[in-house]
Amino acid sequence: MGVKKRISGCVATANAVKLADVEVICSFPIRPYTGIMSELARMVADGELDAEFVHGEGEHGQLSVVYGASAAGARAFTGSAGVGVTYAMELYSPISGERLPLQMAIADRTLDPPGDFGSEHTDALCLRDQGWIQGWAATPQEALDLTLLYYRIGEDPRVLLPQYACQDGYFVSHIFGDVEIPDVAQVKEFLPPYKNHHVLDPRNPQIMGAQMEPAMGPGMQYQRYQAVESARQVIEEAHDEFGRIFGRKYAPWVEEYMTDDAEIAIFMQGGHSETCKTVVKRLRNLGEKVGMVRLRTFRPFPTQHVREALAKFKAVGVVDNSANFGISGGAGVLLTEARTALYGLGDKVKTLGFVAGLGGEMITHEEFHKMFGKLKEVAKTGKTGKENFWLPFEL
Amino acid sequence: MLEEIKSLKKVPEEEYYVPGHRTCAGCGPALQYRLVAKAAGPNTIFVGPTGCMYVANTSYGCGPWSVPWLHAQVTNGGAVASGIEAAYKAMIRKHKTDAKFPNIIVMAGDGASADIGLQALSAAFYRGHNILFVTYDNESYANTGIQTTPTTPYGAWTTFTPAGPVVPEGKKLMPKDLPKMMAHGHPALKYLATASLAYPLDLMNKVRKGLNAEGPAFLYVHAPCPKGWSFPSDKTLEIGKLAVETGMFQLYELQDGQYKLTYRPKEQKPIEEYIRLQGRFSHLQPEHIQKLQEFANQRLKEVGLEATVPSVT
Amino acid sequence: MSVQVKDVPFAGTVPSPKTENEGMITGSWRTRRPILDKDKCTDCRMCWISCPDSSINLTNGSVSFNLKYCKGCGICNEICPVGAISLVPELDFEE
Repeated sequence: MGVKKRISGCVATANAVKLADVEVICSFPIRPYTGIMSELARMVADGELDAEFVHGEGEHGQLSVVYGASAAGARAFTGSAGVGVTYAMELYSPISGERLPLQMAIADRTLDPPGDFGSEHTDALCLRDQGWIQGWAATPQEALDLTLLYYRIGEDPRVLLPQYACQDGYFVSHIFGDVEIPDVAQVKEFLPPYKNHHVLDPRNPQIMGAQMEPAMGPGMQYQRYQAVESARQVIEEAHDEFGRIFGRKYAPWVEEYMTDDAEIAIFMQGGHSETCKTVVKRLRNLGEKVGMVRLRTFRPFPTQHVREALAKFKAVGVVDNSANFGISGGAGVLLTEARTALYGLGDKVKTLGFVAGLGGEMITHEEFHKMFGKLKEVAKTGKTGKENFWLPFEL
Repeated sequence: MLEEIKSLKKVPEEEYYVPGHRTCAGCGPALQYRLVAKAAGPNTIFVGPTGCMYVANTSYGCGPWSVPWLHAQVTNGGAVASGIEAAYKAMIRKHKTDAKFPNIIVMAGDGASADIGLQALSAAFYRGHNILFVTYDNESYANTGIQTTPTTPYGAWTTFTPAGPVVPEGKKLMPKDLPKMMAHGHPALKYLATASLAYPLDLMNKVRKGLNAEGPAFLYVHAPCPKGWSFPSDKTLEIGKLAVETGMFQLYELQDGQYKLTYRPKEQKPIEEYIRLQGRFSHLQPEHIQKLQEFANQRLKEVGLEATVPSVT
Repeated sequence: MSVQVKDVPFAGTVPSPKTENEGMITGSWRTRRPILDKDKCTDCRMCWISCPDSSINLTNGSVSFNLKYCKGCGICNEICPVGAISLVPELDFEE
């Protein structure tokens, strides 16, 4: 069995990377994810982890280094935040296109502006459709677990895709939580060594990433589509195995909190859901029929599971912690995804979009109370009126 | 250790850059690629940043290398090679592979080296990865249809530096000197050389010295481009030779902090002999040619060669 | 016409060719064909080392042209120190 420690999300992730026994790590500093790398640097310096620790010349360089390392057959890890994430934009598609299952941790940060150190999911959501596995951890424990889960899912021969293991900056990356660090034997059982059949090896020479003619384009993209789709089954299997070996059972797609007989619910992802839970609990104590649904895996998006989870409510408030200007619905990415999942149910479930926590602001208890208040009103009257609300200005 | 090749008869007969690629007839970069691959041998991995040597070699889902090759972006050849090198180091150390440490060679164009790829190149050399970075300098972004790079010479026509009444000389700027940039300021550098495809043995031996060095090595190859420089396809080597004989390009190496000239032209030829064969210079007026002569003379002096052709006529 | 998914190489990865890349046969580009005068040839290998297309074969030290790939650039003719290689228009040949 493992040991329990009180550590931050950053240190939890670093511990998982160490347990995954990676060969190549590539760093570049940007808050708040930096803590992951400084902890890994310490582990390498202290001889706890045998890995090449490469100082990238920027995030673009980071993703390039791990691209090369993974193509050579190594398990590779990198990470970033905020504008660092978007600076490396060129590399995300080549990495998934080359089917290299490396991992990138993202501890969210706002883009510029406001450019502050605060958390926003905007950075990681910019990357959402590049053929990577993606999801958010809500606690330091889950940050550790996601790293192990994602390596296993991504490296599965049926998948072979890279992964963004996301956690909210500060609210997860810098909050201390009780984390059970599993022991090496458990991890070995869960995560077999990385083996890819297309690697750079002069004993079996291959040409990787040749330019294709247009007629090959549809087939190449369809292969990636199939890989993302086949990840669905692997994600479920991996979560089952994870629960069996480590004893922590996560719902692979959506976590439901107090949704039994709930009439209204919040749908969201990431660390602010912990705040939301306390509000749900308080409202339940007051007799309100409220609940929360937390999305755990964002890509591939679990359309069917979200639909099933949300269809039972009269009104759902979708909390978007990202700035998406001009988007349909006037709120954020999650609202559009949730509405797509509910498509066909007619007017049965009313959906409202709440943009909240931008710039790294807390989403406060008071704000969640206001959201539930609005949802209650909509559920009661059956009428929505304005459907998107930018907090704290519009609610 | 790769041995010195003493004569043409001793050049390995095996090809690792095999027939079958869509480079133009008479392509200088293709010829130097073949020579580099020959000198390096079978235990080699090539990294190919976007450029002519990616596009013309791999279009249609195939390629002409009998050794492994990986595409890199035009931006990141140095970084991708760094990752491969780090991976092999760690995998060998941790007994995760029984492969021998390979030659890791980046084959980058001048734009992918001196311009958009400079950051990744410099970082790889700063970090000291055991790689060979080859720049094939055809003095333009050629696969996009001949646009200027920082190494395009003064006075050259490109589609981004056309000559016209207002800009009679075409390209107005003096080129970056990438080998000198690499030579000074990268303390981990183990070997650096310039080479020309017109001097094949010299080129191949420099490849081998670079690969034998335990650490980053840089090879800068002058590679004339019939299409971009506008000359007949059979003149590639002649133009390569003239570049060296006129002082437009110098052959030297740098090892253990010492420069060494590897070829000394017997007598410097006037710059006109080099430019008159190339359509890209056909618009130049005497005052522009004089500036080019000054440029060549200055470059010669920098490596300790006497310029014998006066720059003022 | 789009290529079927099963016929698209996985992740764009293909085995490296061993001796030639049959995906790009370039001999048809040629307008002039190199012809060797064996009596003049001294086996110096200058043409062989100077061919950008790896299209001059060496067999027991003697050169011959690989016309399947030779693009007819003419470098061999230009570099030959004894004038043993000439370039003949392709239309002069029946095949």
